[in-house]
Amino acid sequence: MESATSKSVQAPRPATEARRTMSDTWYSILLIAPAMVIILFFALVPLFYALDISFRFADLTGGGIRGFVGLNNYREVLHEAHFWQAVRTTVVFTSVAVLLEMSLGIFIAFLIHGASRGKGLIRSLVILPLATAPAVTGLFWRYLYDTQFGLYNYFLSVLGIPWQPNWLGDIKLGLWSVIIFDVWLWMPFVALIVLAGLQSLPREPFEAAELDGASTFRVLRTLTFPMLMPVLTLVFILRAIDCLRLYDSVATLTRGGPGSVTETMTYYLWRQGLVFFRMDYASTMALLFLYAVILASGYALRPLLARLAMRAGQR
Amino acid sequence: MLQQRSGTTMQILRYAIIVVILTASLFPIAWMITTSFKPADDIMVSPPRFVFKPTLDNYIYALQKANFARFIENTLYVALVSTVIVIVLSSLASYSFARYNPGGGNILFFILTTKMFPAIAVVLPYFIIFQTIGDTAVGKALGIGLDRRGALVVSYTMFNLPFAIWLMVSFFQDIPRELEDSARLDGYNRLQVLWRVVLPLAAPGIAVTAIFCLIFSWNEFLFAYILTRDVARTITVGVESFFTLRGILWGPVSAAATISVAPMLVFVLILQRYMVRGLTFGAVRG
Repeated sequence: MESATSKSVQAPRPATEARRTMSDTWYSILLIAPAMVIILFFALVPLFYALDISFRFADLTGGGIRGFVGLNNYREVLHEAHFWQAVRTTVVFTSVAVLLEMSLGIFIAFLIHGASRGKGLIRSLVILPLATAPAVTGLFWRYLYDTQFGLYNYFLSVLGIPWQPNWLGDIKLGLWSVIIFDVWLWMPFVALIVLAGLQSLPREPFEAAELDGASTFRVLRTLTFPMLMPVLTLVFILRAIDCLRLYDSVATLTRGGPGSVTETMTYYLWRQGLVFFRMDYASTMALLFLYAVILASGYALRPLLARLAMRAGQR
Repeated sequence: MLQQRSGTTMQILRYAIIVVILTASLFPIAWMITTSFKPADDIMVSPPRFVFKPTLDNYIYALQKANFARFIENTLYVALVSTVIVIVLSSLASYSFARYNPGGGNILFFILTTKMFPAIAVVLPYFIIFQTIGDTAVGKALGIGLDRRGALVVSYTMFNLPFAIWLMVSFFQDIPRELEDSARLDGYNRLQVLWRVVLPLAAPGIAVTAIFCLIFSWNEFLFAYILTRDVARTITVGVESFFTLRGILWGPVSAAATISVAPMLVFVLILQRYMVRGLTFGAVRG
């Protein structure tokens, strides 16, 4: 190592070159090596494993993992009505939930931002739902949604509304109940980050607009939102990815029911793999799902991430 | 901006809406904590009772009868051990990324894409892998296998590492490079610079990252649900054990849920200032 370093002519910062005992490159690789070994191993091994199984017959209840069947599993899965049903549920859930979370969260962020005092207190109260485990609160929400003892239907009756919905039992409402829960849980996340974005906006352009007598709407449209765009995009992507992967709350709140109206991709996958033990189908779906998420998020994220990663290089 | 135009009426309206939203946002948690102190007779009643005689019965039931103490112990063990491993590995890696940027951003990007994996896509292969490892001598010795805590430690280390690296890179970037350079001139070698100058300065960031990792591990459900059955079961999954043939025991469920949520509420309040940065992988400084 010692001899190699004396030849390290390409070291980027000559100022401190005097006592180099190892080149920057080797030092930096050595530092990331332990973490990278773990990440590579535990990300790639399962991936290749799933890839392998997706081309085999694997029924853990009968026969275990057997010979190659080519693209058979992919064909089966793509012709399965349940699979497409789950895809549809996931897409509907994601679109509605993210839309509601974004609009409500942005609205709340503006509200808090405009508050003259108590901002800190309001903010610390708003974020509390974020601390809870979706699986645990999801389970408790079954009690809130209960038709007989639940608080929601009680509130409705107190408010004089005759509607007593069966939140978790009605086929038309099931998915909405999960959406409401998810909005409750994640709207603070959007609000918090948008609020931070608002607070970090420079003052000068707004003061200038004020002097020019620009209307509030005009300021929002031409200044505030364009300047917030990077933050909004980031929040949107993070939320969308999380919604596509939704599992915890479905597992405890509805268990895919009533019927299968709240059965998302991940929940369906779990049922195939660990209830029916058809690991071949499950792995195939997991991979299809993975490709979809990586394609979608990679495409959307690339510019943003490229910029973030550049930041490291600029220092 | 907006607030400069709004008069007193607007401010009152603003606070009114904020109060409504806060109430809607906080009452599920408040109701959960309240229910955990209710006697059994006051829980399954209609209309709901708001006045009752508080009792600790539900906690006693949860901790003693339902073996919840063991779930807590498992969760603590898994969360702490995995967090320590993650912090050691990621502080070295993040420092390297922040200072030397190996891979020119590509490696960092790759690390983030592993975080985008749907956990469910990873967990099925994990299930089979841990099943296989668990039967070998090595797996038995290390306690890695299905329904063993080691399996969860490994899984949580894996899914917290990318997050921790990204978040900590942003903290290491905040440390002025000049400090390191002058320490080098003073005769410190590279490891001494890292150990005596950089890490102490990065300590707050490391602590923040560690707390986030603890929260994520503590609240994790999917891996715990699929990889454990009984011995290594954690809180989030253990809460489900109050499903009985006679229905769900909401009192003990609320007690267990409160135990699971309470420490995290405290953590989140401590983290306040850093929540934004943490939740955006260090992208938004907040």
